[in-house]
Amino acid sequence: MKHYLYLFLLVVAVSSCKKESDYIYETTPVTVQQSGAVKNNVKSTTEFISIAYADLFGSNISQAQLTKLGNVYVSFGDKKVVEDRIILNFLNVPGLQIPSTPSVNGDTTAFVSKTYKKFYNREPNAFEAYYWKEQIRLNANVSPLVMYYVLMTSDEYRFY
Amino acid sequence: MNMNRRKFLKTAGLAAAGAIAAPYILPSGRLFAATGARKVNHVVFCLYAGGVRNLESVQMMDGNLMPNLLNGTAPISPDIAGAMDILPASPLSQPLQNYGTLFKQVKYRRGPTGHYNGHTVAVTGQYVDIDLNIRAHPENPTVFELYRKHNSPQKAALNSWWVAQNLGPYPALNFSSHEEYGAAYGANFIAPTWLISQDGYDVLGNPKVFGSNEKAAISNLQQFVNQNFNKSYTDGSAGVVNDNPDAALLQSFISDLYTKAQGGQFLNPWGAGPAMNNDMYNICFAEEIIKQFKPELLVVNMQDVDVGHFNYTSYANNLRKADFAAAHLWNTIQNTPGMANDTVMIIIPEHGRNQFGNTSVDAYGRYALDHTAPVDLISGDQMARDIFCMVVGPVGVVKQGQVINTAMGESSDVVPVIANLLGFDSSIPGYIGVKDYNSCDLKAAFY
Repeated sequence: MKHYLYLFLLVVAVSSCKKESDYIYETTPVTVQQSGAVKNNVKSTTEFISIAYADLFGSNISQAQLTKLGNVYVSFGDKKVVEDRIILNFLNVPGLQIPSTPSVNGDTTAFVSKTYKKFYNREPNAFEAYYWKEQIRLNANVSPLVMYYVLMTSDEYRFY
Repeated sequence: MNMNRRKFLKTAGLAAAGAIAAPYILPSGRLFAATGARKVNHVVFCLYAGGVRNLESVQMMDGNLMPNLLNGTAPISPDIAGAMDILPASPLSQPLQNYGTLFKQVKYRRGPTGHYNGHTVAVTGQYVDIDLNIRAHPENPTVFELYRKHNSPQKAALNSWWVAQNLGPYPALNFSSHEEYGAAYGANFIAPTWLISQDGYDVLGNPKVFGSNEKAAISNLQQFVNQNFNKSYTDGSAGVVNDNPDAALLQSFISDLYTKAQGGQFLNPWGAGPAMNNDMYNICFAEEIIKQFKPELLVVNMQDVDVGHFNYTSYANNLRKADFAAAHLWNTIQNTPGMANDTVMIIIPEHGRNQFGNTSVDAYGRYALDHTAPVDLISGDQMARDIFCMVVGPVGVVKQGQVINTAMGESSDVVPVIANLLGFDSSIPGYIGVKDYNSCDLKAAFY
């Protein structure tokens, strides 16, 4: 009987004195992006110009430059025409941050994905990724500059 | 078949009603079609704006300050004559009034005598009795929308232009917020003295140029990305919309203007030297549009006379410059194949100015003039409602050399007159509220 008592006390001692585990709670990394289907708001003129500049030059546009662009923007009625011209001028300004073609050819899928996230704030869907990859690989005229221009003058780029 | 008299009359009446109504219900689903005969194929509406008082214009209180438009050799008052800039000789062989009809007592009938109100009345043909929200498009359809919607076949935006001398609220006048009209029927708008400027060149003058193969690829890719998005930016937010070929023409036109500007062609385009003001430049650029696109409907304004709030003598000086510019515009029209002898030009201020001066006195001892006619139409100084109108055009269309000295015509006549000239006045639905052409006094200018 005494043996049983020692055994019981041993079991109790082992089980009740177990060292507590340290649990670390973390969130799973989530990519924040927006589906094209839920972009319902049109960017304001200032937003459009500022974002386009930042997307291409990696820095904020100066207030003086923004004022100039704002004035010429309202001085022409067809906004698609004037926006097209703004983007084309940006694409001709020194300091433009744009990938070179060889690196694009190196990993076209990654380039397409990165470019979609940059301009549309989302991943391309499978069809878009495939289409662009094929265009870039098969058509020598589809350079990074062309892809930037196409995305920046698209309807989706005008929305958020 | 038995048919009594009552049934016969009923049947015949229904048939007749159907025969009358049928032409207005088109296979396309449009309720109305433009059916009227055109008097001309082009109208240029020159808003001699900024607030011009009849005392200085047609009544020549300080002499003939508008010798390019008006007959008369009365010298400019000696006390201000020395302050007048030297301008080139008239481009016309005789004053413009001889090419048409001059109405000397026209009314800006109702509403506040403000610039934006006045411009809104001019382009919509409807008075606005309240101060307008200068950030908003007009509520009533503009003449551009009426023109584009009620012509059959419908007209492209490239046929209609609004050329504004300044920004502020004026870019909003190329289309209305009316649910049946709007941007889809709007005019191309340009404020050329802002667009074709050093600032404009700095940010728009050096675009990347893609090669033809790249352009072909871009076209396909743009189609692809826009098809994959479920909204179109052109649904109102993008202003007036031109189709791709016309947009390309506009890009080319803008580039051409920058090239000309860089080449110095706009430094002294009329030989007026330092006298060239913004009004003259605005008309100069309107002439570029006329030469390039031969628009069917172009509205252009001038506003430099509004310096009259502070300086009467400069107001008088700018009245002369606007006079020269209007004559130059007509001369260009008459030297543009396709528009010569097929254009009516209408000149009218948006409103006048007060009879009594404000407290600002210029260096020549003249009191400056505001334009603040009370909206009750009775009290105070109502002179800002008195304006003139000149209508010039081809022989056989416009009565030549006619002067109407009695009170005839009002601001709201201009839109229905334009509609009649371009053959769509009868297609404008009555509920829109545009005045019936047949009740417009300005029709006295036409045969």
